[in-house]
Amino acid sequence: MATLTAAPVRPPLVAWVRRHLLSGPLNTLLTLVFGAVFVAAGMAVVRFLANSDFTILRVNLALFMVGGFRRDELWRIAVAAWLLSLMGGLVGGLVAAAAAARARQTGVVVTGATGRGRWSVLRRFWPFGLFLVICLSLTETIQPTLVTVLGIGLAVGGYWLARRWPASWRRFLYLALPILGLAAYGVMASSGLGWSRWGGFHLNLFLTGAGLLLAFPFGILLALGRRSSLPVVKGIAVGYIEVIRGVPLITLLLMGVFALGFFLPSNLRPSDVTRVLVAITLFEAAYIAEVVRGGLQAVPSGQTEAAQALGLSPWKITRLIVLPQALRATIPAMVGQFISLFKDTTLVAAVGLGDVLAASSFANSQPAFNAQGLARITLPFVALAFWAGSYTMSREAKRLERRLGVGER
Amino acid sequence: MISSDFTDATRTKNEPMIVLEHVDKFFGSFQALQDITMSVGRQEVVVVIGPSGSGKSTLIRCINRLEKHDRGRVVVDGIELTDDLRKIQEVRRETGMVFQQFNLFPHLSVLDNVTLAPRQVRRMPRDQAEELGKAMLARVRIPEQAHKYPGQLSGGQQQRVAIARSLAMQPKVMLFDEPTSALDPEMIKEVLEAMEELATSGMTMIVVTHEMGFARAVADRVVFMAEGQIVEVGSPEHFFSSPQEPRTKLFLSQIL
Amino acid sequence: MENQPRTRPSFWRDVRVIRLVLQVVAVAALATALYILWFNLTNNLRRQGIRTDFSFLDQPFGVRIAGSDFRPGSSVRDAFWNGIRNTAALAVVGLPILTVLGVVVGIGRLSRNWLVARAASLYVEGLRNLPPLLLIVFAFQAVILRLPPARSPITPFGWLVVSNLEIHVPGLTLQPGGGQFLATVAAAVLAAAVVWWWRTRRQDRTGQPHHRWLWGLGIVAGTALVAYLLGEDPVTVSRPQLEGRVISGGFSGLGAYFAVLGALVLYTSSHVAEIVRGSIQAVPRGQTEAAEALALSGFQRLRFVVLPQAARIALPPIINQYLNYVKNTSLAIAVGFAEVTLIAFQAIGNGQPAPQVILLLMAAYLTFSLVISALVNVYNRRLRLVTR
Repeated sequence: MATLTAAPVRPPLVAWVRRHLLSGPLNTLLTLVFGAVFVAAGMAVVRFLANSDFTILRVNLALFMVGGFRRDELWRIAVAAWLLSLMGGLVGGLVAAAAAARARQTGVVVTGATGRGRWSVLRRFWPFGLFLVICLSLTETIQPTLVTVLGIGLAVGGYWLARRWPASWRRFLYLALPILGLAAYGVMASSGLGWSRWGGFHLNLFLTGAGLLLAFPFGILLALGRRSSLPVVKGIAVGYIEVIRGVPLITLLLMGVFALGFFLPSNLRPSDVTRVLVAITLFEAAYIAEVVRGGLQAVPSGQTEAAQALGLSPWKITRLIVLPQALRATIPAMVGQFISLFKDTTLVAAVGLGDVLAASSFANSQPAFNAQGLARITLPFVALAFWAGSYTMSREAKRLERRLGVGER
Repeated sequence: MISSDFTDATRTKNEPMIVLEHVDKFFGSFQALQDITMSVGRQEVVVVIGPSGSGKSTLIRCINRLEKHDRGRVVVDGIELTDDLRKIQEVRRETGMVFQQFNLFPHLSVLDNVTLAPRQVRRMPRDQAEELGKAMLARVRIPEQAHKYPGQLSGGQQQRVAIARSLAMQPKVMLFDEPTSALDPEMIKEVLEAMEELATSGMTMIVVTHEMGFARAVADRVVFMAEGQIVEVGSPEHFFSSPQEPRTKLFLSQIL
Repeated sequence: MENQPRTRPSFWRDVRVIRLVLQVVAVAALATALYILWFNLTNNLRRQGIRTDFSFLDQPFGVRIAGSDFRPGSSVRDAFWNGIRNTAALAVVGLPILTVLGVVVGIGRLSRNWLVARAASLYVEGLRNLPPLLLIVFAFQAVILRLPPARSPITPFGWLVVSNLEIHVPGLTLQPGGGQFLATVAAAVLAAAVVWWWRTRRQDRTGQPHHRWLWGLGIVAGTALVAYLLGEDPVTVSRPQLEGRVISGGFSGLGAYFAVLGALVLYTSSHVAEIVRGSIQAVPRGQTEAAEALALSGFQRLRFVVLPQAARIALPPIINQYLNYVKNTSLAIAVGFAEVTLIAFQAIGNGQPAPQVILLLMAAYLTFSLVISALVNVYNRRLRLVTR
């Protein structure tokens, strides 16, 4: 053995500061300027938090969250939230289990899968946590806190269950997911009014989930159509996708709200929520088709050829060989589409629906708060809701991309 | 024992071109190079072999400062590599490097790849640079590809363009980092031939490779590295027929 | 080998027949769906006594358009053109600004200075995860509307006149003799082009650095300065003046315009920054190393090796962001800036037939999108890296 020499000792903090903050005159100047900017911004935020009166949020919290949902039926939202928390926990656990299984097969050690402590959850989901804490701090009774705590408990429980669930029985868990989703929807929608009175942040979430779910099969068909060797089928798919992608969502929403009725038999008068849901579905399908097409292109042509050589029929090749691989490759892009739709649901406020953004305007027109410029308080609150969701999801998508090994050969 | 080998070698070729003294290199806490001392004489061809991860690539990347060594001295043609940017650029101007993955610039034509550095670094007029470039392409026997793009060439052709690109800077030293490892078998020969021609013309070369045939035929000295250290140095005949160190014997028995 | 019988297979497993039948079915399904929609549409329109043609375009629009001299009596057609002009006004001013901002922030994210990189990533992660409509509404309700009312505007720095209705910024005015000045500058630009060519040739001949940017800009700036000093104030800065209630001089824009512009520029530039960063990082490490090994300097590595490759990667997605920006200008409907979507919205509100109005609106955006995509496709085909 050769004599072991230690790595040169570097004084960590000093060296870091010198390298990253003071490596030259220009760099030092930049450090000073941006340091000042950070300090000023931090002080501005503190001053805003200290000097603002958040009564408008306290009074209208229910309006922001659920809009016009009947207040004596709010338990339905709580039950649905529990069901969906359980579902989210199960999904997270299943993904983690799949990644762990894959790591075992390939011998690749996935860091952060189990280790790095329990704090990694906090680090990953802190924006959610922040938003929840702020919301709960604005409530006046203990009930919402209890509901939230139970929801988190169910999510953790679901995660734990899915991780420990024997692999051979996993299909039952997959089956449980749509059942939980449907049950959550059923609990919320069975109050007698359906979804026509839904509003607030609840409406944004519903439109995101329902829009994506409804658009998904349509989008897959369009993507397959676009790759079809039949010129007519391909032409129809390409035409639809390009037209929809060429126009803003708001034109489709206007179409849904003002013109959809003209295209339906005169006895059919759908509610506004239904109308925008139709518009969102038609819009989203084109974008999902492009996401799926990207996934289809990622499947090597050798896969199809091998399946053909085995004598599988075209439909079976698509269903058993191509689509499973393609859909897995699309998961990160699909999350991206999910985020983009999540943000786009605010557009329904522009055509007169009562989502969370509309709730902000509505709260600002109440006699107690009218013309006091309180949008500077309500809008950041709404912004935080969207930011927490989008930011966390986009980071989770990146993480998922790494862990599922998408893009690896 | 190692040092005695070196004094022998350096005596045969006067005044060394490259001198490394007690060079250490760390990646984090991993020591990639450990107390490397060697010198390469003018017009000498040194072949570095060893198992993967033994620090061969790191060694030659320290010579043109693609990696910064942490301790010791690296001197190329009398210029010591320090944090002085001017010294670094001086060394790089005199040192050509050929990479495993070719690293040709895909957005430039073959001729532009070859003339970029002479024009921008050596401030050479365009006509002169193109003449030089064409001469270098002729030297690696692909003058007819001058106006194609790298993506249109085979791997062997690309690697020969990469050699021509380095030669166009008229370097005193050429470094080869596994130049044939990314090539299909039938293309290895054309690249090795170009390198052999270069060696015969008197270029100082350090070659990291797994091509033992090349080492045997062309090298003045063979250096065997393992775990960041130089284990054994010798002339090819000596090295391949009667290796001294057990690690060398093991390695040779595995690959031959 | 046996002789293959040359009979055709039964029609239900003849590939050609299957393909034909499938396509006929697809066309038939589409036609049926379209027919049902059309049938309902004409029926409904007829029953409600709404015209099914586009003659409504000549009807009076009936509403004033803020910030323009559009009269309510003018036709719907004119209103539409007015809206398209306003959309263009958002695009023409916004796209250059957001490009510069995006490139600067994107490069900033790769800065070695930790604070700069942090600031840039805060910018990107903060903005791109917010709904653009929310940003627009915030810019309007929480910034513009909190400015002083139109009857008592403020004049920050003496160069701006700001109220919650309109914002006036300085502009340039051509004085008599200004034509001469402009002609001189134009001549200088021509001269600079010639010098540019000369410097490039000279570098080719001698290898000396061309410094053509320095020379070109120097000639234009120098000539402009001399011509400005010799002429008698050929161009003057016109600064908005507040005299009582009347504001004169400079350029003005509606508060809503600036709200939409600012919000969308911030939002889209965050996406552009992400593209710029990704593209620079997507250039393989080996490219930089090869350039280093050839002794190219830091600037030369960027200029000749990294940036040309990064630009090829970045351009298509950036154009896509431009398209998104233009489509997002439709969100101005929420703050009442009269771009083409708001015009359509108001037209529907005034009883014009919704299906035709919306169709026209979609056609306007679609034309724009398709023209841009076609141009990008042509460009991509030209710039694609040549491979085997």
